[in-house]
Amino acid sequence: MVRAALRSPALAVAVLLAALITIPLADSLYRVPIQVSDSLEPIVIAAKYDSGRHLLVDSLTFSPTTFRPSRYLQARALLALTDGTGLTHHAVFRGVHVALLVLLVGLFIAAVRVREWPDLVAFTVALPVLVGVHTFLSMLLEAFPVNHFAEVGVCALGVFVLAQHPSRWFVPIVACALLALSLSVVESGAMVWVTVICCAAAGLRGIDRTTVVSTTLLFGGYVLLRHVLGISSPGVGGHGSGFGDQFYSPEELTQRFGAHPLGFMLYNVTGGLASLLFAEPRQGVYSLLAAWRERDIHPVVLINVISSAATTGLLIWYAVTRLPGKRSTWSDVDRTFVVACAAFVVNAVFNAVYIKDEIMSPGGLFYAIATFVAVRALVERLPQQRLAIASLGAIFLATISALWAFRVAGVHYQLRYDAFKTRNDWVEVLRPDKHDDWPRDPDELALTRRLRTEAIDRRTTSPSFMPRWADRYWVE
Amino acid sequence: MILALFSVWWAAAGVAGDGLWPPDNVTLSEAVATRNNGEAVRLMDMGADPNRPTRVRDGLLTNGYAVTIKPIEAAVGAQRADSVRMLLANGVLVDHAERRMLLCLEQTRRDSGVRELLATESEDHLECEGVRSPLEQVH
Repeated sequence: MVRAALRSPALAVAVLLAALITIPLADSLYRVPIQVSDSLEPIVIAAKYDSGRHLLVDSLTFSPTTFRPSRYLQARALLALTDGTGLTHHAVFRGVHVALLVLLVGLFIAAVRVREWPDLVAFTVALPVLVGVHTFLSMLLEAFPVNHFAEVGVCALGVFVLAQHPSRWFVPIVACALLALSLSVVESGAMVWVTVICCAAAGLRGIDRTTVVSTTLLFGGYVLLRHVLGISSPGVGGHGSGFGDQFYSPEELTQRFGAHPLGFMLYNVTGGLASLLFAEPRQGVYSLLAAWRERDIHPVVLINVISSAATTGLLIWYAVTRLPGKRSTWSDVDRTFVVACAAFVVNAVFNAVYIKDEIMSPGGLFYAIATFVAVRALVERLPQQRLAIASLGAIFLATISALWAFRVAGVHYQLRYDAFKTRNDWVEVLRPDKHDDWPRDPDELALTRRLRTEAIDRRTTSPSFMPRWADRYWVE
Repeated sequence: MILALFSVWWAAAGVAGDGLWPPDNVTLSEAVATRNNGEAVRLMDMGADPNRPTRVRDGLLTNGYAVTIKPIEAAVGAQRADSVRMLLANGVLVDHAERRMLLCLEQTRRDSGVRELLATESEDHLECEGVRSPLEQVH
């Protein structure tokens, strides 16, 4: 990328812009302490085992509905890195989190392939979409204690970038490795296989038959292994989710939809897709319905819906007016657009049982790539239009770009908020008035205490000292 | 471009100090008043006395004036049961007179969790007449 950047001034500027936007974001992300929920337990479990092999074998049966052995192995590897380097747990675990963010942005730059100045204009709209879309923030807020959704995003984008280049002998090996890694951390890892299939179906030249067959066999093996181990997929009621303008607990969902889940599943799939395309619903809940009922609509809902709907409108414009009907006449850019759209549409199916923004996070990455293609086409077309139409087009792009930039600023705010909440969560760990709940094992106690001390010692900002208006404009 | 400029400013502010929305420099009572239990624990770990009154700046619990109050008074004033419990667990002492004053303060800033933590059987009939609120302005 460095050599390419030196050859293309537009790419050099794009890399510079991305760096300028990513560095403060990395800073905000690094300020969030290691989480208590989802992180403390895997870290403690990983530290207890005398060998990685034992941990791997046992982790296969930790849960009847999930198969995530690498969660524990990664935690163990990072604990070893902490001990080996003398760094703090925060530096290692959160450092990996930041590295994943940088990788995601780097792969996005590689995927959109900025070469000329119009590409750069499209990039200045697409990058804020990448970072500002709510699924990206939800992905950043996850950490189990390594951010598995970000890992899946990196692997899916990695496959996509490989697919854009001529096929090479190592592509099937790398694609299988990325798929294996993704599937071993979280079920959404199947998005890597989906990406391979979408790339092959759209005719991207980097994915040949060998890659399709090998990744499909691997995915089939994964499904079979889950079956052999007796690991089932969670059904309706395994997780809370929204319906209409309300969020329901798992028990309520079972009671309401357990007997006839198909309609609810269809609602979730369409809702998952709509959440990406129109920023509504969120976690299955249509805030606009609630706002209508309460006669009080928060600006954040309007900003998100307007920016997302306008961007989706651009994608529809491209698909209808610019995409040739025959696959054989598609350009590389068309194929990129089709793969990106197909990936986020298929991603919506992953929401069948419950809607969660994180599940749509790989789709969010592809949504930004599709946006790049559509904006690039619009920018190319504007000079050919009459002045009035060209001006309107430019104003439209500037407006959605500004709205998305505002959403990106909100990501910082919400990361600060999350840092504050996460640090406060650690106050509830090793409570002085609940000695009976403390770990009995001295090593576990020492590790827990160290993690707690690191988190408490990292000062955060209370929302009381942040702008009062921010909640209404940035937090849904 | 605006976003990039904003980010440059953000990064520069970070290099120069703690950046935009830096961590608060607060007293123990202010930490509690702003729901910042993590900071309160850090301050206590560093030796701050949880029974000692400290200043709470204007705008956090009061409007138009600052007050000097104990952390537990700040917790009750901020309607934070979790903060009250955290302070009690960390060695805050509350005698009978103070408990009554806190319960009377809770009557003006209702929070059932706070009331539950402070209430005792002998205080079924709370009499608040003549009890001065720690959040009142001192002239």
